[in-house]
Amino acid sequence: MSAAVQTVGLRKEFSMGWFRGRVLALEGLDMEVHRGEVFGLLGPNGSGKSTAMKMILGLLRPTRGRAEVCGYRAGTIAARRQIGFLPENPYFPNFLSGAELVRYYGRLSGMGGRVLEKRIQELLEMVRLGGEAGKRPLRTYSKGMLQRAGLAGAMVGDPEILMLDEPTAGVDPAGSREIRDLILELRQRGKTVIFSSHLLEQVEDVADRVIILHRGQKLREGKLDDLLTRKKEWEVNVQGLKEEDRKELRGWLENRGVQVVREGAPRERLEDYFLRSLPEEKRR
Amino acid sequence: MMGSLRRIGAVAGNTFLEAVRQKVFAVLLVFGLVLIYGANYFTEFSFQEQFKFLKDLGYAAISLTGLLVGLLGATQLIPGEIERRTILTALCRPLRRWEFVVGKYLGLSILLAVMIGVMAVAVAGVLGWKEAHLIAREGSDPAVAALIRAEARDPRLIQALVLLEVKLAVVAAIAVFFSTVATSTTFVMAMTLMVYLIGHLQSVAREQWLESGEVASWAAKFFLAGVAFLVPDFNLYNLIDEIVAGNAVSWRSTLEVVGYSGVYIAVLLTAASVVFEGRDI
Repeated sequence: MSAAVQTVGLRKEFSMGWFRGRVLALEGLDMEVHRGEVFGLLGPNGSGKSTAMKMILGLLRPTRGRAEVCGYRAGTIAARRQIGFLPENPYFPNFLSGAELVRYYGRLSGMGGRVLEKRIQELLEMVRLGGEAGKRPLRTYSKGMLQRAGLAGAMVGDPEILMLDEPTAGVDPAGSREIRDLILELRQRGKTVIFSSHLLEQVEDVADRVIILHRGQKLREGKLDDLLTRKKEWEVNVQGLKEEDRKELRGWLENRGVQVVREGAPRERLEDYFLRSLPEEKRR
Repeated sequence: MMGSLRRIGAVAGNTFLEAVRQKVFAVLLVFGLVLIYGANYFTEFSFQEQFKFLKDLGYAAISLTGLLVGLLGATQLIPGEIERRTILTALCRPLRRWEFVVGKYLGLSILLAVMIGVMAVAVAGVLGWKEAHLIAREGSDPAVAALIRAEARDPRLIQALVLLEVKLAVVAAIAVFFSTVATSTTFVMAMTLMVYLIGHLQSVAREQWLESGEVASWAAKFFLAGVAFLVPDFNLYNLIDEIVAGNAVSWRSTLEVVGYSGVYIAVLLTAASVVFEGRDI
């Protein structure tokens, strides 16, 4: 079976206008995303993440190299049928309601009739915009709601691959957690999710593999476990350890020539603490 | 084929809905007020002159309003979507770019047709009101009443409406073509207006240099031939003025202009689609 997405030597230069030369946005990107995995495209602003995504979507034409989606050349109708896209900021026609947005995208994907209407209801329920919320104009939505509406729109054609460009940028921690949970749910359903982010903690929570880009070049690629695990260290978290036992344990380790790199009570992540501080109904 | 039609319909419907929700039709209110004010003007003149004034005013207002909405709408169609970046979420769907261009154009054309239709009904309403008013005042003589009715219910005005619609459709197609080339709405507007003006002047230039027997250089001839081929001749739509002035214009001539416009619209939309196909978004 072909890879979900494959790029070979993908390069993009942008013309700056008459007599102003060209700027290199992406240089020879080789990348393979397997079906059913959550894949993170990481890098600072201007690293080429969005450019790579747009070439995979067929919105930009490569200067050189090629991209394929489920074995189809990127940009073809067959390739675009396989992908749902959520852009970096919620760029949606704000005169539509949430349900109308999903209907519009469904019709652009060639859907219609009862099948589409049923799908709209399912998706709005899934992203928690069912009922009255789905009938409100998008201009009255919060950023988190817009992202969820966009996600519903991206999923309307039941694509194999979801491509999310900075899905949590500008979203509060609770909204961010919701999007993370949705990504995990999509993986459970067997979808491939490719997302870009510069918020590294969030990537760590959901990605199976990542690629790190910098100034249009690939710096690293691999499974998160392989990239992040310090293989020479070992960590044990325990509860109820008395002070005298802790000192004895440390001495025991040092007597055996083990270097204690760090020691102390583990800290909770601020995002988890913040979410735990909120009343139950505000967490969702 | 059905899939294409459905997608084009979705884009066209959304374009129309956007215009409606952004209250483009509010201009119709201004139009109605202008007409009602105009209907009570020049009451000291003969009824023929009053009807002529009303028809002139009505058609000038429809033409101007349609031109403004068509021009502004068309320049916003694609550059506006690019600026707001809403185009990204549309073009990443299994939607061909030519379907997007045609859908956008159709949406605008439907908007223009509905606006022209509503304004025409308003003109007909004011003419009807004027007819009733004048018959009550001067129509005791059946012959005079018949003349008033003939002035108010001139079926040739439908021909003028058809010509106006196709003229605006050509202007919109020119703007759509330029909007696939550039991102600046100012550029699109300027280029469209330039073509519009050249379209009005080209027949004069042709007569002056090519048909008057004066010696024109081969470069001038080549240039004028190019202009005549590429730019639609907007003088053809002067038939509208003829009709409004009460002169007879055959349906055959009207349909010839409709056909001529159709060819230009098809060529412009094809060119726009080809240009847009290769464009980075």
